[in-house]
Amino acid sequence: MTSRTLPPRIVAILFATVCCVWSTHLVAQSQPPVDALLDGSSLEDLWVHVNAQDWEDLHTHFEENTYYPADVEWRGIRVRNAAIRVRGVASRNGHKPSFRIDLNRYVTGQTFFGLDALTLDSSWQDPSMITNRLSMLLFRRMGIAAPRVAHVRLFAGAGREYVGVYAVTEEVTPSFLRTNFGEDTGNLYEFNHLQNDHWGFQDPGPPLGWYVPRFTPKTHDFDSVAALYTPIRDLVQRINDAPQSDLESRLNGYLDINTFITELAIQNFVAQGDGIVGGVGANNFYLYRFAGKTLSVLIPWDQGNAFGTPDLLPSYNMDTNVLTAKIWNEPTYRSRYLGTLLQIAELVSRDGFLLAEAQRDYQQIRDAVYVDAFAPYPLTQFEQMHVTVQQFIRTRPDIVRQYVASLVQQ
Amino acid sequence: MRCIFSIRAVFAIALCMGATPAAAQVEMTFDKRPSIKVGDLLTADIRFKSQLDFREFPDEPGTDFKPLVDLHRTRIGVEGRLIKGLEYQVEGELGDASQPWRDVYIQTRSFRSLQVRAGQFKIPFSIDQLTSGMDLDFNYRSLAAAYLAPGRDVGVMVFGRFFSEALRYQAGVFKRGGDNVRESERTDAQADRTYAGRVVVRPWNGFDNVFRTLSAGVAFTSGVLPAGPNGVRGKTVPGDAFFEHLFVDGHRQRMAGEFQWRPGPVGLQGEYIRVRDQRFGQGIDNQDLPDAYSRGWYATGTWLLTGERKRDSVEPKRPFLRGGVGAIEIAARLERLAAWNDSVNDGTFSSPRSPWVMPRADDVWTAGVNWYWNEYVKLQANIIRERRSADGRVIDGQDDLWSQTFRVQLGF
Repeated sequence: MTSRTLPPRIVAILFATVCCVWSTHLVAQSQPPVDALLDGSSLEDLWVHVNAQDWEDLHTHFEENTYYPADVEWRGIRVRNAAIRVRGVASRNGHKPSFRIDLNRYVTGQTFFGLDALTLDSSWQDPSMITNRLSMLLFRRMGIAAPRVAHVRLFAGAGREYVGVYAVTEEVTPSFLRTNFGEDTGNLYEFNHLQNDHWGFQDPGPPLGWYVPRFTPKTHDFDSVAALYTPIRDLVQRINDAPQSDLESRLNGYLDINTFITELAIQNFVAQGDGIVGGVGANNFYLYRFAGKTLSVLIPWDQGNAFGTPDLLPSYNMDTNVLTAKIWNEPTYRSRYLGTLLQIAELVSRDGFLLAEAQRDYQQIRDAVYVDAFAPYPLTQFEQMHVTVQQFIRTRPDIVRQYVASLVQQ
Repeated sequence: MRCIFSIRAVFAIALCMGATPAAAQVEMTFDKRPSIKVGDLLTADIRFKSQLDFREFPDEPGTDFKPLVDLHRTRIGVEGRLIKGLEYQVEGELGDASQPWRDVYIQTRSFRSLQVRAGQFKIPFSIDQLTSGMDLDFNYRSLAAAYLAPGRDVGVMVFGRFFSEALRYQAGVFKRGGDNVRESERTDAQADRTYAGRVVVRPWNGFDNVFRTLSAGVAFTSGVLPAGPNGVRGKTVPGDAFFEHLFVDGHRQRMAGEFQWRPGPVGLQGEYIRVRDQRFGQGIDNQDLPDAYSRGWYATGTWLLTGERKRDSVEPKRPFLRGGVGAIEIAARLERLAAWNDSVNDGTFSSPRSPWVMPRADDVWTAGVNWYWNEYVKLQANIIRERRSADGRVIDGQDDLWSQTFRVQLGF
């Protein structure tokens, strides 16, 4: 029997392969999980590398949705080939604009530590800068799929200029769907609130064209109008046609009524004035229809207009929306809604987690806000709003409990 | 645009000055086209050009819808002489409301070795781009001429011919970089100029041999590029973006070589164009980026089966419906449009501020038949095959793309 040895070339190739696999493993191990960025445990630094001219254009042409190439760096790891643009509707501004960072624009399938896209919110309409984060925390604690939000100190340009505190938000994208629903092949739409629309799920009639400007497809965007919007029209028609006494069974397979009631209760608990029953009609949500099913779910978005009015009645505006009106007017569903409100009140007051988060957020961002040359509000307003938010969290559970008790007595 | 209006005003004044005293000498004729002659002061030939296309492009996701029928060109113009020593041309595109004016210029005619042209006209670069759209051998210009040549601009040019036209030259200075560039360049204010030159030799022009029509030439342009996403645009045959919109700043330089030979009914033509764009300070971190290059070439062969001599404008010996079949010509073209640079792939392969420009190429061949009914009507049918590649590999689903186009052309 003769002994055999591998040829030197084969040995070299095997060695190189092992080294390559091992180094890949090491790189993967050394990358921090994105949870560290989004869980809010620390105030992270995020550096957007962007050409000086582009940074200027992003501010001077803030009304446009033009993307500019950018690299994003976090904890020394630089993700290249990203794209950045200004985002927002009413909050658009050229002083401290909010941004959207798209990781897929130049490279299909690229992610930032697993995320397809990030939004950097300047909290233009929220002097406390924390209300959206607190709302989303409550949604998630109540079992609702909601984006994670945390704060970062944002740096920009080759000179790493500090451009202020931003709320970094996980965008509702396929990666969000995978994380929260275990699938991403269904139909995802972003709802666009049109000015003076005041739409509250009323049936606009058979033409699908009504839905096109209001529901922007985020997946399957090359599908036909019929394929994209017929299921939404069916859902809206079902909501309108269903008798309120039989809402649950009539919507079975189209919309989970209990999940919707939970979302509604959370928004009304935190006195979100621009949500499902906002003052201008339904707003700030995504709609996801699961793959191969008719079942849809609402995903909350941008809940920053909350924690301002602790005495707002939880029945506020319930009659302006077809679905919430049926829930409110039918004792069975009203009972569930009120029960969910009590559940939320208990959660918030029992372990004090929301107040602790509000206090921690304040401590976390305070120093960075004080040196934020682009902060949209005076520091006194920042401080005052934090007092207001914390007072809201302290008082709101009892206000809600008293309201529910008064209804039960009636 | 203000300059164009000025040119139009000059024309209007000149025409009025000439027309008034010569009103009694007005002579109108219709030989090949309507013509007006006002004594020795003015001649005016009315020109009309129309092209109606029927086309079928491959169905590609993510691209704009292209209608089956396209009124490709509807132009009306006037050209002629003015006070003996000047020639002029004014032409407008009726289907282009935003930028209707095409050629609007005046030129001297006294000394053929040194003429001067001023106004808006094509920058002298690329024989295919300089060929009238009515005289093309195919429905569409080569991709190189369509997207790498500068097109029209406002400027001044000297040109002429020597040695029995064995040597021709053109040299000019232009206000901007031509209208055949990215949209932002057409609308943004541009302060700097583009210089252009072209020399064509036809060494056997004075001889009566088979090489008499053989010509070869070189051309260049050099101009300042505004900072921004103004890189050379490259498009596919259906007109969809193919090159990345690179950010550039610095100079744009073009070089081209051309040849043409038309022995009898056969026509051979080829061209090579290279464009270099500088990218100073255009990196993500404001760093200078390596120059970006675009390149295009084509080789064309045509054969007039009915025996007419190949010229720019083919006139059938026996026009259709007047005792003959007209002139029938077959044509084939092989071409490539490509973008690249000399950098190495550092992972920034797709960003428009990437140091590395991902190599892209569109390889195309076209086969066609031209049927000249008479000097006014031409029918053209083309079948076009594209194969597009990126980074040396054929792009999935773009290895075998077929387009079919048919054109009905009427002009005088």
